[in-house]
Amino acid sequence: MINCEFDRRRFLQWTGASVFAALTTQLSLESLANAAAKSPLPAKTPILVLVTLYGGNDGLNTVVPFTDPRYQSVRSNIALSHSQVIPITDSLAFNSSMPLISDLYTRRKVAIVQGVSYPDPSLSHFSSMAIWQSASLEGLTSGWIGRWLDQQPHSPFNAIGVGSTLPPAFVGEQTVASMVDVGGIQLPWGPVASVLPRLGDAAPSDVTLEAAAATSISDLYSTAKRVGPHIPKSPSGSWISQQLSLVSALINANVPTRVWEVNLSSFDTHTGEQGDQNSLLAEVDTAIGDFMTKISAGSHSHDVTVMIYSEFGRRVASNASDGTDHGTSAPVLLIGNGVKGGLYGEQPSLKRLDENGNLRVTTDFRAVYGGLLHDVLETPVRDVIPSWNGALSVH
Amino acid sequence: MTSTPSYEQRLATSRLLHRFGFGPTPGQFKNLLEHGLATTQSVVMTYGRDDPGTKTVTPLVLADLGNFPSGNNQAKSNAFWNRIQKDSADLVMWWLDRMVAASYPLTERMTWFWHGHWATSISSVTYPLTMKRQNDTLRKFALGNFDDMAREMVVDGALNIWLNNNENYVQAPNENLAREFMELMTLGVNHYSQNDVAAAALALTGYSTDQSNGKVTFNPKEHFSVPLGLLGATAIFDADSFAKLAVSKDDNVQFITDRLWFRFVSGSTAPPASLAASFANRDIASLVNALVHSTAWTDPANALVKSPVEWFVGACRALKVRPSSLNAGDTQYLLTQMGQVPFNPPNVGGWTYGTAWLNGVAFQYRFELAQNIIAKGDFGPLAVEPLNMVQACADWLGVAEWSARTANALTLSLATPSELALAAILSPEYMVSA
Repeated sequence: MINCEFDRRRFLQWTGASVFAALTTQLSLESLANAAAKSPLPAKTPILVLVTLYGGNDGLNTVVPFTDPRYQSVRSNIALSHSQVIPITDSLAFNSSMPLISDLYTRRKVAIVQGVSYPDPSLSHFSSMAIWQSASLEGLTSGWIGRWLDQQPHSPFNAIGVGSTLPPAFVGEQTVASMVDVGGIQLPWGPVASVLPRLGDAAPSDVTLEAAAATSISDLYSTAKRVGPHIPKSPSGSWISQQLSLVSALINANVPTRVWEVNLSSFDTHTGEQGDQNSLLAEVDTAIGDFMTKISAGSHSHDVTVMIYSEFGRRVASNASDGTDHGTSAPVLLIGNGVKGGLYGEQPSLKRLDENGNLRVTTDFRAVYGGLLHDVLETPVRDVIPSWNGALSVH
Repeated sequence: MTSTPSYEQRLATSRLLHRFGFGPTPGQFKNLLEHGLATTQSVVMTYGRDDPGTKTVTPLVLADLGNFPSGNNQAKSNAFWNRIQKDSADLVMWWLDRMVAASYPLTERMTWFWHGHWATSISSVTYPLTMKRQNDTLRKFALGNFDDMAREMVVDGALNIWLNNNENYVQAPNENLAREFMELMTLGVNHYSQNDVAAAALALTGYSTDQSNGKVTFNPKEHFSVPLGLLGATAIFDADSFAKLAVSKDDNVQFITDRLWFRFVSGSTAPPASLAASFANRDIASLVNALVHSTAWTDPANALVKSPVEWFVGACRALKVRPSSLNAGDTQYLLTQMGQVPFNPPNVGGWTYGTAWLNGVAFQYRFELAQNIIAKGDFGPLAVEPLNMVQACADWLGVAEWSARTANALTLSLATPSELALAAILSPEYMVSA
């Protein structure tokens, strides 16, 4: 059997690398000019940064119950040894791939919410991610940030996703968030440059989707004007580092944005988990450490809260391919200079598992969202999450 | 017919041509408007015969590249990965060429649909030959019987690699293929239990795939040959009998009917209750035929966003541009930035359709790709009196109607057909199938 180290990102680098280089040299951000901030985000306005880990990050190898003998026995082929962890209490430790987040925890800037999921968790990537992104167990299709956006005065800057495809959480009933790409913004050029902005105007005859297409054009022009000049010109580091560098640069430039989203894939570690997950967590750790250093030096040092989450954790017992199958609850990390660090909720027992051998749920993720809606987005919880009012505050 | 076609006729014709055939070839939209809806429906449903269009695309022959190079020979390793990269690009361009060249595009369109349904990514399969073999299978059964397709796909090499069935052992089952086969491919979520997933994983033991060519071999000694309780039945199951059982369930009928309805007809309205009957015997062509003859085509609620590939292929068909005549690296890069490259879906759920395709960042890359198409394009259909050019452009591209906004913007480019065409394929009316 061949062990495949050729992941999606590497594939994209292979197929796109030369073109990307050519394209970045074409970028003329200076032509976007207008760096003057017309409506800077006022100091002390809270900001939320979502870090989505797609694929189901193994919570037990992230925040590790390293002294529980069951931890070593049920996943002996992937359990982290005592030298592969950084203890934070007598019974819990960070994966040693996370030295910077561990250091932030010691400085009480990291809240670890334990055992987070929802009642009767789905083991499907898609159902579970849909539940997390919609904050609905009843099948609402709009995203939770999208519904918050629906209630704000329209501006393409309210919420921004990094990359070129929007997370479902950012799609509301009426409103869709904007995007920026780490490569920067290049406005259309050439003879039609003066024609295309007109295609972004609303037309009375537009059906909903035509109107959305027109808005995407006008959003490109307004985002380019406001955000373009602050985009770092030569992104470096891992994909998650590039995304978070962009976000820190734009926050420090006072772009009037309250919610950001970045993401990283490949956490679906059915095989060869330890090597893969450790390197992914190391990428996240480096990116978060660098992000917090930059934010701490800027004008919003105490305004930013980062939430790191995934659609589910993984099975307690490992499989024979040195990996784990889909599981249930896992820790959510909340990070920021304004966060009251420490442990929240209850660590699920490795002894009392559910009927599928999965961890029980001790905290509902909607309580975490509730706390963020109240403390960061300053919005009544029920306005965004129907018939829910729990809020776990870490501020 | 001499009477001017109504807006409803234009809308229905536009939707049928874009959704079942990637959009009209030059002159086709206007011609079919003159012949009426019944003719359009029968043209759209034409398939299975020798296709003079796809015949012009050189068949793609890929070699089995064997195991990954071992040892520290850097030159050998580079040559291997360069070859993988070249074959991957050839594979993508070969399929895009077929979509653009097809005279009867329904087969390619359905193959494209099934690729999103059985979403398998070269990112972990790695070998273009293995992906090509899956693509051949999807094309073979694209309008056949779903039972045949599912039984072939459950032992498809690329799918088995992608969903870890090479790591599925009796002593230590890996549930990935078992779960996704039921959840995403045959039954839909919640139409099976976790016990069914565990049992199906055992049914799928004993199969091993040669990653470089997709050949699957069955080793009875490695297979769990003990009766299992699975989806309400008890028997000794293997891949074939598991697939057959899943497809035989009533839930399969509604699940596949819904999947086609949401992709081809509407993202916002539910399919009529009567539609599922056309799939009762799992005949895909019969379900597609029922969709083509549905009464939904004039309902304004049934607009859909064109995916990046659908938009790209549609523009290439109208402008008579072969994708392989463009820079392959450039095209793949720009489609990646817009969020969709064939053979590389983001995950096993396939691509998420809808407004997520419509964002400002994607538009900047859409502009570049549009420019590349225009640079090689044929603007013959715009060789008319300036006064008639904007309407001729709608007829050429198969747009039901321009808004006043777009018509006014296009009027600014009457002097230069290439600029008018560029703005037209970047208009809101052309980005979506309204």
